[in-house]
Amino acid sequence: MLDPAPVIRRLPRAGLAWRSAVAVAFLVLLVLGTVQGNDDRWPFAPMSQYAFAVDLDGEIRSTRIEAVTTAGTRTVVPLTPGGVGLRRAEVEGQLGRFVDDPALLEAVAAAAAQRHPGRPRYARLELRQTVSRLVAGEVVGPPQDVLLSAWDVPDPQHPLGCCR
Amino acid sequence: MALGRIAVLRFVLYAFVVLDALHLTTWPLDHGDVPAQLYRPILLRRLLDLPAPTETSVRVVLVVLVASAVVAALGRLPRAAGWVCAAAYLEWTSNAFSYSKIDHDHVALLVALLVLPTVGPARDAAVRSEAAGWAVRCVQVATVCTYFLAALAKMRFGGWDWANGAIFTWAFSRRGSDLTDALLAVPHLVLVMQWGVLVAEFLSPVLLWLRGRALAAAVAFWVLFHVGTYLTIGIHFLPTVVCLLAFVPLERLPRAGRSGAGRSRA
Repeated sequence: MLDPAPVIRRLPRAGLAWRSAVAVAFLVLLVLGTVQGNDDRWPFAPMSQYAFAVDLDGEIRSTRIEAVTTAGTRTVVPLTPGGVGLRRAEVEGQLGRFVDDPALLEAVAAAAAQRHPGRPRYARLELRQTVSRLVAGEVVGPPQDVLLSAWDVPDPQHPLGCCR
Repeated sequence: MALGRIAVLRFVLYAFVVLDALHLTTWPLDHGDVPAQLYRPILLRRLLDLPAPTETSVRVVLVVLVASAVVAALGRLPRAAGWVCAAAYLEWTSNAFSYSKIDHDHVALLVALLVLPTVGPARDAAVRSEAAGWAVRCVQVATVCTYFLAALAKMRFGGWDWANGAIFTWAFSRRGSDLTDALLAVPHLVLVMQWGVLVAEFLSPVLLWLRGRALAAAVAFWVLFHVGTYLTIGIHFLPTVVCLLAFVPLERLPRAGRSGAGRSRA
């Protein structure tokens, strides 16, 4: 419980002034960030997590990268911090770059080789999406599989020249 | 505002920073060995001329972040350790978001770390301080902004179609579980949930005016909301959840409990 007649520590005028100015400026930037900004301006970025509308008769796309290893097996690349250091959403965030420049997929092979030197290397990488169709807001039928981009690593043992 | 609230907030928030860096927002460490081709620095990092994370740099930042947070959580060097922690956290989170995926759950905590050092020592819990009041209000407003601006963002990017659309179906099918399958099986339930979220986010500024039980109920609602999103799609939003504590009269924690915490902190 508070003591009776508590001491109140006031702010000097200057302290009050800069605090007010900073608070107002930060708030204005935050609001502008959401109203007309973009992700690049974080922390003054739109609070846009799950903010887009999904058409009831649209589609749902899930992204993954598949790899054929030097051992000849096909595997799904773990798009996790512990897997290749990159999360699925980060791959989706630069999807256009991977499509425009499939060679960028070699960076994923390099990241995997860096973290898991003992495992078979990725010789071929494929950026793929499963596309589920929505009808009246419900998923119908089996999902379709689409290949967006593929890259054969020229020197699978040393992607981007790494891990020698 | 009583300094007691600052003392407890400091302990909890700085302790949370340690948890966040070591268990929740851990991927900046993993970015250390992602090839720089995939590094897409956000404006803040470009303005500050911060280099692409490397295996060494991420480890150094992590050590500084955890060490400063521990010192600040113990109530020592509230200004120096607090500023170092704020700077390290900004480096850590800006790394987290510089590979083309931005999360929006860290803004309130970042604000808290930026304002807590300005209060200075908070040993005398019963003393009321305007500096403490400003800091707590900043955290409260930033927390409300996280919700309210999320509603504005939904209007900007989705319009009213957001609430009438299939966003929950989309999220549930991408990150689903048995629970989400069960929810999707109930007709129209996702629409009701979507409207509920939107209305709650638009109403969130009332948190700044509510008092007593009404405030407690509103804070409890948001905590339950986050429990729900965690159980359904695995998104915990904890960096925002801990900031809801700024609305709680922590200074009224029993004195015995506080001195006990003080002993364990000493």
